Amino acid sequence: MKQPVDFTVTPAFVTKLSLMMALALLPHVANIPVNISLYLLLLLTWRIAGLYWTRLLPGRWLLLAATLISILIVYAQYQTLLGRDAGVALLGMMLMLKVNEITKRRDIYVSVFISYFVIITQFLFSQSVLLTLYLLGVVIGLTSLLLEINRVTPPRRPYQPLISTFKITLQALPIALVLFIIFPRITQPLWNFSSEASARTGLDDRVSPGTISELIESSEVAFRVQFMQPPPPKQQRYWRGLVMWDTDGYSWYTDDKQVLRSETIKLMMIDNPVKYEIFLEPHDEAWLFALDLPLEAPPNSRLSQDFQLRYNEPVTKPINYSLHSLTRYGMTRLAPGLRRRALQLGDNVTQRQRDLVARWRADSADDRAIVDQALAFFNTEPFIYTLSPPRYPGNPVDEFLFEGMAGFCEHYATSFSQLMRIAGIPSRLVLGYQGGEYNALGDYFIVRQYHAHAWSEVWLEGRGWVRIDPTAAVAPERIEYPLRLAFGEQGAPAMFEIDGGGMVAAMMRHFTHALDSANIQWRRWVVGYSREHQFTLMRNFGLDSYSAMQWSLVTLGMVAIVLLLVGLNIVRRGRLLLSPAQQGYQRFCNKLSRIGISRRSYEGPMDFARRAARNRPDLARQIMAIVDLYIRLRYASQERDGRQLRLFARQVRQFRPRQR
Amino acid sequence: MAAPLTADWLQRLRRRAKPESRGRVRIVPRSIYILPTRQGMLLALLLLLMLAGSINYGSNLGHLMTFLLGGLWLVTILHTWRNLLGLSIQPGEAAPVFAGQTADFTLRVLNHDGSSRYGIALGARKRPGGSVDIPADSGSELHIAVKTERRGILPIPEITIQTSFPFGLFRAWSYARLDLSCLVYPKPAARGEPPTLAIYNHSDSGDRGVGADDFIGLRGYRLGDSPRQIDWKAHARERGLMSKQFGGDRSEQVSLDWELLQGYDTEERLSLLCRFILQAEEREQSYSLRMPQEKIPTGSGPRHQQRCLSLLARHGHDDETAG
Repeated sequence: MKQPVDFTVTPAFVTKLSLMMALALLPHVANIPVNISLYLLLLLTWRIAGLYWTRLLPGRWLLLAATLISILIVYAQYQTLLGRDAGVALLGMMLMLKVNEITKRRDIYVSVFISYFVIITQFLFSQSVLLTLYLLGVVIGLTSLLLEINRVTPPRRPYQPLISTFKITLQALPIALVLFIIFPRITQPLWNFSSEASARTGLDDRVSPGTISELIESSEVAFRVQFMQPPPPKQQRYWRGLVMWDTDGYSWYTDDKQVLRSETIKLMMIDNPVKYEIFLEPHDEAWLFALDLPLEAPPNSRLSQDFQLRYNEPVTKPINYSLHSLTRYGMTRLAPGLRRRALQLGDNVTQRQRDLVARWRADSADDRAIVDQALAFFNTEPFIYTLSPPRYPGNPVDEFLFEGMAGFCEHYATSFSQLMRIAGIPSRLVLGYQGGEYNALGDYFIVRQYHAHAWSEVWLEGRGWVRIDPTAAVAPERIEYPLRLAFGEQGAPAMFEIDGGGMVAAMMRHFTHALDSANIQWRRWVVGYSREHQFTLMRNFGLDSYSAMQWSLVTLGMVAIVLLLVGLNIVRRGRLLLSPAQQGYQRFCNKLSRIGISRRSYEGPMDFARRAARNRPDLARQIMAIVDLYIRLRYASQERDGRQLRLFARQVRQFRPRQR
Repeated sequence: MAAPLTADWLQRLRRRAKPESRGRVRIVPRSIYILPTRQGMLLALLLLLMLAGSINYGSNLGHLMTFLLGGLWLVTILHTWRNLLGLSIQPGEAAPVFAGQTADFTLRVLNHDGSSRYGIALGARKRPGGSVDIPADSGSELHIAVKTERRGILPIPEITIQTSFPFGLFRAWSYARLDLSCLVYPKPAARGEPPTLAIYNHSDSGDRGVGADDFIGLRGYRLGDSPRQIDWKAHARERGLMSKQFGGDRSEQVSLDWELLQGYDTEERLSLLCRFILQAEEREQSYSLRMPQEKIPTGSGPRHQQRCLSLLARHGHDDETAG
């Protein structure tokens, strides 16, 4: 059957629709290569120009050619048409090509629907509050265009369809929330596109000089942490990620071929465990971060013998997890195999390194004293902490220790670990983050990529693995800050956090903290909402034993209830918006209507009252009194006069006309 | 035979809004049907796709957006339904037309509610009429055009009132049984003269009709004029070809009689009579009409014409009452 309303597509409407479609696509500019973005802009410009010079509009063949070219461009860029990134680029092309053939009512629908799809793909890249609000706005804008084509007369005010659509969206929101909460989350993907190219910044599983200083350039959030009790002091906020056991003298890594035998480790608690929650951003690697030293593994992960948290799959979407950690601890025994491994050295150990260690050994009573000697060495010798160290192309550790003496945390940590091994002290390298920026508004810490850090752990008899941060030993006056860190952005690397100066910087920080604080709530309740949350919630309602069938019925029932409530509201809309005085007047009219005197739609209160009084002289006095009061309440702006209103309500209540 | 029977059975089953006072029909909740439009189905399909994608990539916000659009889809049902609810349709008059012409039914749709209604369309016999927006507490006129085929009474047993506001995802419609019909006159036959059983009244004003009795004047030769009519003398005077014109003794009163048109079937007779009536009216003659059941005495003027034409239209439809 034909559509009830015929709609002629006008240039003004096409402009509006095209712009809305472009807005739906806009955030993807960050996710697709520049040349594809430019091509998309070209397609859009083509359409807008076509509105004014119709000769420019592409014909069917030209459009077909443009479509083929678009597909080729995408294929040339990604070598595939499948998967997230190529899919998004292709979708963008489709959308902008569709812009070029909006001529009929059907095209409008197809355009709006593809835009919806584009909008949902945005969430594969970012899940921030701001983006969500923006996209919600675009959805309302797009949908309001559908409202416009289903009415006959143009709206009196141009934003009227927007407001109507906004209201309808508000009514849809409860249904969306119910479904969101109870729709079962499936953890396994339905299908998988392998080899997704990704360029996310984050730690690597191999450390060589230069790997971390690259990260320092990035202020991207690695994760956020909220403590359930007062946070541990700054010196203890080391976020453990990876442990590196093996070195070839140039870089540190963990050789996967050498399996770490899982052994029960006896851990002595010196302090009470700290409880906290981590909101991890995706980093595409299969490990998690925890406060040094995690005591348990969150769901879908396991805790290795050297206290790394290994996740079952690469972290490609934001996850939340709660953990307990010990900040002070002791361990009892190191297995001989592990001890051998923690002492193994590369083939580039030089004589001057051995001499240095021999000197320390001679001056020290025990291993602990050697560690202190090494730290004193970094402190008293002219070592410089810098983000742009010279290159050490030959033998990095040796050239750093004796020639350059300028480096970043990975230089200090790798050299220190190597020196310890030369001294016969088992050591290993730990990679993670240090510190974090406190957000007072949300009471949590933001750990950014520039908090990336590397430190050492040495085995001291009687104490177990002890964290030693040689970078912290560098004398404060020999620390170089890049300008960027000294002004504006807070959070200098590693130990040396400084507060960026200036009022503007402080205000900026306050603003970004407020935004980030909203984001973490968003992360906790919406983005990070998981199967586990769902189970907990259902357990609290005693619904956890439900079968799939019962489950679906509950879902349907809830949606039906919400729909019913919304429906009641819609049907009674006219009456719900009446003021108390109007409601009273309506009751009064209804009472008269029951005895056969109905108000006609054109009759004002005064006319109606006169007619009613003529019909029923016996009620005239009462009728006139009520209407007088109503007119005063309604038209003499005395609506807020509570006494008058009560009087009016009482008179209406006591008005009980009888049929004659 | 089975198919029409089923259709008839379905017809009886389906709910219609029935007239109340003054032939007005009010759309009550039980009489409203609602189904997704093609676009609505397309969106539902797309939502399933979006859900599959959100599940696959484990995107919670994807779930949320999908559910929001799904909620919008569901809420739209209510809005579309509500947009039709409580409207009433007031049938109007449809001017009689000749068979083959388009009948124009005027209806008034009234909105007694405090909120405006948008994109309301009327349709009859599967043909959509126009659509209107109706502001709060007012009414709008709508026209339904129906092409007529046969003479008689064209009934509109029911009309469809429909809307797909707000987003065109659903179409709500209702069948309204209205007292609505249009009188369709027979299609006038090609020009011709009534069989001359006319009453020859002498006319003082002379006669401009065509006959063979009295010479009235000359006119330019037209192809097909008989050579005997040509004024050869004028031709000889080199004044070109002229035809002599003769007028007949023509009555100013025509008596049209069904019985005189032998050799035609019923519809042809009615068409001829229709033509004669129109012709007589055109020539400002008075005429009477005699049909098997009824005779209309001599008269003239629009009212008389209308009476005669409707007698023709109703021929054989006597059992039905006029609308």
